Amino acid sequence: MPELPELDPVVHGKLRLAVLSLLIGVEEADFTWLRQKTGSTDGNLGAQMLKLEEAGYVAMEKRFAGRKPQTLYRMTPVGRKALAAYVSALKSLLGAAL
Amino acid sequence: MSNFEPHNGTSREDLVERVTLMETTIAEGRQATARFGWIFVLWGLVDLAGMALQWERPSSMWNWPVAIGVGMVLQFAGVALRRRAGSESVANTQSRAISAIWGMMGVTLILYCFTAIFTGKTYGPGYIAAIFMTIGLAHAASAIILRWPVQGAVAALWWAGGLACFFLSGIWFLAIFCVEMLFGMVFFGLYAMWLERKSLAAPVEQHA
Repeated sequence: MPELPELDPVVHGKLRLAVLSLLIGVEEADFTWLRQKTGSTDGNLGAQMLKLEEAGYVAMEKRFAGRKPQTLYRMTPVGRKALAAYVSALKSLLGAAL
Repeated sequence: MSNFEPHNGTSREDLVERVTLMETTIAEGRQATARFGWIFVLWGLVDLAGMALQWERPSSMWNWPVAIGVGMVLQFAGVALRRRAGSESVANTQSRAISAIWGMMGVTLILYCFTAIFTGKTYGPGYIAAIFMTIGLAHAASAIILRWPVQGAVAALWWAGGLACFFLSGIWFLAIFCVEMLFGMVFFGLYAMWLERKSLAAPVEQHA
């Protein structure tokens, strides 16, 4: 029996997976939009974004929109590859379960 | 399901939940567009005000330039206020395509209308018909990108109004103009604003 693939623990977290799935459909998104779409809190989202940044899956940029600071995130090529690998692993696992 | 052992501490239900979560959030991200409903309401009201001025003072060539100028100032002010309030921002190919269509339609109509007004060549049904058809084109392109049948119906309304200009005149022409502005701009914009508010109130999923 072939060995089942491992799931990337950084991608597997629910909130991190939601954020990566949101970011894959956009070029960039700000913190407020991500928080609103995920229904998360500032603290929780901030902590998860830091983990994604540390893994190199997202890149962060701080800008000013008028006088208001804005924190923008975009998915990196490494993040795209990680999500694609996660989807592939998920398919294998679910395929094995059917 | 058969022989499925928990893997990485996750059950099959967990994995299926992840798949559902991804499907929902990917769709949400792709559908994200800028908030635009208020701009339709604004321009519908501005155009109705312009027509009211034209009705009151038919000989003045400044009616429309004043109305359009006020509309532009209000739109810039609205955009600046939203930025200042720190409205959430997201950029994707879809939102850029929609912005390009409406932005370039605005430039086209301003060049067309101002040149026609200042050269005194706004007579004939073709002048207004071209404006209606252009707005219909922008709505139709936008409807195709967004896969939004309601906006497709609004495009058809504008095109029908453009065609009707060639068959109607006098008070009927005014009636068509008001119907287009009310249904194709103001009410459509209010509906878009309602949808935007609804989408803001419903996050993808609550996370612990």
